[in-house]
Amino acid sequence: MSLYDQIKAEQLAFSYEDSNIFTELTFSIEKNQSVLLLGPSGSGKSTLAYCLNKLYPEAVDGELKGSITFEGRNLDDFKPGELNQKIGIVFQDPESQFCMLTVEEEVAFGLENFHVPRAEMEAKIDRALEWVGLQAEKKTTIHTLSGGQKQKLALACVLVLQPEVIILDEPTANLDPLSSSDLVKTIARLKKERPFTLIVIEHKLDDWVELIDRCLVLDSSGTILFDGTLVQCFGEFAPYLQKEGIWLPKVVEAGITAKNAGMYKGERLPLRNHELLSGLEDSVAFLKKENKTISKKEPILEVSDLHARGHLKNINLLIHKGELTALVGANGSGKTTLSKCLAGLLPLMQGEIHFLDVPLSKWKEKDLFQRLGYVFQNPEHQFITDSVYEEIAFGLEHRATALDNLEKIGLEKHANAHPYSLSQGQKRRLSVATMLVHEQELLILDEPTFGQDANTAREIMEILDEKSGAVFMITHDMELVDQYADTVHVLDEGEIIFSGAPESLWDNHEVVNRARLKLPFRKQLQKDLVRRESHVTT
Amino acid sequence: MSLHEVNPSVKAFAVVISILILSVFFDPITPLVTILWVVTVTFIFGRVSFKKWLLLFAPFLFIAIIYVWSTMLFPRLQAGDSVIWEWGFLTLTAEGFQRGVSLGLRVLSFATLSIMFTLTTKPTDFLLSLMQQCKLPPKLAYGIMAGYRFLPLIKEEFQTLQNAHRVRGVARARTIPEKVQQLKRYVIPLLAGAIRKAERTALAMESKGFTGEKNRIFYREITVSRIDWLFFILMISAVILSAFISWKLGYLQYYNREL
Amino acid sequence: MLAKWKLREVIVLSVLAVVFAVVYLLFVQLGNVLFGLFGLIGYDIIFGIWFIVSIIAAYIIRKPGAAFLSETVAATVEVMLGNAVGPQLILSGMIQGLGAEAVFAATKWKNYSTWVLMAAGMGSSVFSFAWGFYVSGFAALSPGYVTAMFFVRLVSGALLAGLLGKYLSEGLARTGALNSFPLGKEHKRNVTV
Ligand SMILES: Nc1ncnc2c1ncn2[C@@H]1O[C@H](COP(=O)(O)OP(=O)(O)OP(=O)(O)O)[C@@H](O)[C@H]1O
Ligand SMILES: Nc1ncnc2c1ncn2[C@@H]1O[C@H](COP(=O)(O)OP(=O)(O)OP(=O)(O)O)[C@@H](O)[C@H]1O
Ligand SMILES: [Mg+2]
Ligand SMILES: [Mg+2]
Repeated sequence: MSLYDQIKAEQLAFSYEDSNIFTELTFSIEKNQSVLLLGPSGSGKSTLAYCLNKLYPEAVDGELKGSITFEGRNLDDFKPGELNQKIGIVFQDPESQFCMLTVEEEVAFGLENFHVPRAEMEAKIDRALEWVGLQAEKKTTIHTLSGGQKQKLALACVLVLQPEVIILDEPTANLDPLSSSDLVKTIARLKKERPFTLIVIEHKLDDWVELIDRCLVLDSSGTILFDGTLVQCFGEFAPYLQKEGIWLPKVVEAGITAKNAGMYKGERLPLRNHELLSGLEDSVAFLKKENKTISKKEPILEVSDLHARGHLKNINLLIHKGELTALVGANGSGKTTLSKCLAGLLPLMQGEIHFLDVPLSKWKEKDLFQRLGYVFQNPEHQFITDSVYEEIAFGLEHRATALDNLEKIGLEKHANAHPYSLSQGQKRRLSVATMLVHEQELLILDEPTFGQDANTAREIMEILDEKSGAVFMITHDMELVDQYADTVHVLDEGEIIFSGAPESLWDNHEVVNRARLKLPFRKQLQKDLVRRESHVTT
Repeated sequence: MSLHEVNPSVKAFAVVISILILSVFFDPITPLVTILWVVTVTFIFGRVSFKKWLLLFAPFLFIAIIYVWSTMLFPRLQAGDSVIWEWGFLTLTAEGFQRGVSLGLRVLSFATLSIMFTLTTKPTDFLLSLMQQCKLPPKLAYGIMAGYRFLPLIKEEFQTLQNAHRVRGVARARTIPEKVQQLKRYVIPLLAGAIRKAERTALAMESKGFTGEKNRIFYREITVSRIDWLFFILMISAVILSAFISWKLGYLQYYNREL
Repeated sequence: MLAKWKLREVIVLSVLAVVFAVVYLLFVQLGNVLFGLFGLIGYDIIFGIWFIVSIIAAYIIRKPGAAFLSETVAATVEVMLGNAVGPQLILSGMIQGLGAEAVFAATKWKNYSTWVLMAAGMGSSVFSFAWGFYVSGFAALSPGYVTAMFFVRLVSGALLAGLLGKYLSEGLARTGALNSFPLGKEHKRNVTV
């Protein structure tokens, strides 16, 4: 092993009372490396991150075996608080990692813990807030920040301490597309200014590819499936990873598709767009997308001239029977608020909503929610019982079918667990599943696929796609919009600035930029192709 | 000088000690003079809005009235008390009446002191001051801070929980047993969620190097100055002066006469 | 006292205290109604609810100081919430907490059976009554009335704090949220046996 190994784990095994999470992990991480930790949902990535930071097993009733050393010293030999100065971590759930009331106090909290002289604090706080773009929110109460801003604050709190190792657990899960690439850029820039070791847990990889040196892949049983460079990992192992349900960068995925279709002649799978393009035999044919035939059906939900809390104004929209409608927009643009209005969960200030031609206000609640389902943005908000099984079985006529449904989402092993003890991704799946088991005519979902691995995300989307009723979903994932949506609405600062087919959205650059969206991979590639060809011809 | 700038701990001690002193006396004049003094100070040096003040004061007025009649109807009878009115087991004496009124005024004097504190003190400043001046252990102080931060979350959680029940088709409670059952369905998950979040928060705090160590450097320092002590002495003297005035007027009554 | 506490336990205690601080403030409204109907004794009927966090925290965490600290923190939070209950409330909270703590201390913090929990609720009743006797001037009331108030408060402490506290804590244990606390572990043992 290298002399520069900063973190070394040997024969690491972690188990909760009744189940092993991972067994016999042995790996080491060099100083200033950037490591991507991949694995299916529930494979123990977050758990491992906590162990590296010595937060587990103390904090839970689990058991850790094996040894971890940091710069040659066993973690057990560190005094309380000492290790935390060297290893910083941003947690998966942005809601519960703050303990102060305002942004500046929260950033100062860490500095206070490490005895930074007061005279230096202010400047450090300002700088950290500038890094993540929260200068204007310095005095703001944390509670009023949007989900995305909270994630940025959590990062600032760690950056300000300038640790030698930074661990990020799905730092972009709830960010809009532009914010998430901004965040990756910020980290890349900081790393150039002052090197540190970076360990990232992430499902969506595309933004990270440029920054990462190395991949560490866990499989669903918690053993190391692959450990090596990014190029090896995706260039050679991609098909295995795909089988495990691990997300691949979009280029790699496209490369595999092309290769299987016999259209790609490159030696190893492409990691950059230009590699893919130069390896493709007929790029135009590859990029063609069969158009969905849309036959306009009758509307199921009609919104006219809606105004509501926050800043929603002048909203007019139609949801048609049997269609999949997407709602996209920047963090804080009002998507969640709007969706709650549609489900009758928030009062309107003005305007009217008709569901099946009857005003929402006239519906009896019980009847309404038999025909209209709603999945909350925060999965924990969905849960009303004490066990995973009960969640699914709740309200089912044939409770026996609950187990089948659990199997479909891969949670049969956790039937007796409390919903809160699941991993982030598992919670999301369960919360979506509780609604999928009923046959509603309209299902409204707030970010149903965040934090999912590739397999489960596909599973969820396929169920939604096949559903006979109408589906209305909020998402930050433009690939989903491109692939599944019949209609897409774009929300910007409380106003709908676009409604139409996804294809025409991608061509409308002004809307895409204004709403902080990104083009789906297919469209980006087309753009690259056009640019390349104009290069060739000139 | 502004009441808002007085050190929160000093202010709190001034209020608590005033209350302890006031509790010794059983006559109407002492609390009455104190009330006048505190109200004057609140409005001159605290510049609080009268409407807000009244809103907080009103419930105490109600409590005070109940106090008066409870004491009048169930007085402690002593030899030599002059009976004004008697009906069945109810006896109204002149002394009982006076003691009732003085207890009512006592409630109001406590109220004016409390309101003075409440309307001129920021919660977090109070906590920081308790930690910096009163040696409240940081572990507990930051624990309270983290808990305090949970409040809006819990409120939101409650609404979301209601929504979740609606969406999942749990019928609204109508009868009283149903309502009790429903309350339980809310309270337990609410607490369970709060506890799990609290554990995560503790983890996050530890990951930022918080060990609960006593010697911390504070980003926001709360200081004690000579003005603060001046305020303290003024407040306590005023209460003692009230008792003195009462004595001069011949009303003063101590506790020990009652025992 | 806090040196032996883990941060996790302190935060959970605080969060419990925050939740119940809100509950306490709500019950003040109910208290005022009863007060209006029955006079002073009206408060005593529901007085036990104001000790409940002591019982719950002690029953869950089972460490010296849990009862005292939780009640004190709840009172501090009530003051921070600013509903006109001034800083003297912290003192009341400390005294109520001490009452329950004294009972747990008498068992050397080992016994958490139903009877002990009820006795702890009554301990709070006794301490808080003594305190109220001084600051609220109960001395001016007829001894018979004061005795009645005392007994009503004693029963309220046993039932609303002791029994209800136990009932709520056990409901919580069933959700698994307490699995890393003594009560949760005990519950799990009982279930698997
Ligand atoms: N407190 C707990 N008690 C029991 N089991 C737990 C607890 N916390 C997590 N688990 C289980 O441990 C497993 C790994 O969880 P972990 O959060 O580490 O997964 P993950 O790889 O981060 O998944 P995701 O990508 O969905 O976030 C999951 O199956 C989860 O159910
Ligand atoms: N309870 C509330 N009270 C006041 N303002 C709120 C509340 N909830 C949300 N807001 C504000 O309303 C705006 C829209 O919030 P909303 O949650 O609908 O955004 P969103 O589009 O869903 O964002 P994200 O992508 O981050 O989930 C935000 O500026 C937010 O701060
Ligand atoms: Mg995770
Ligand atoms: Mg949202």
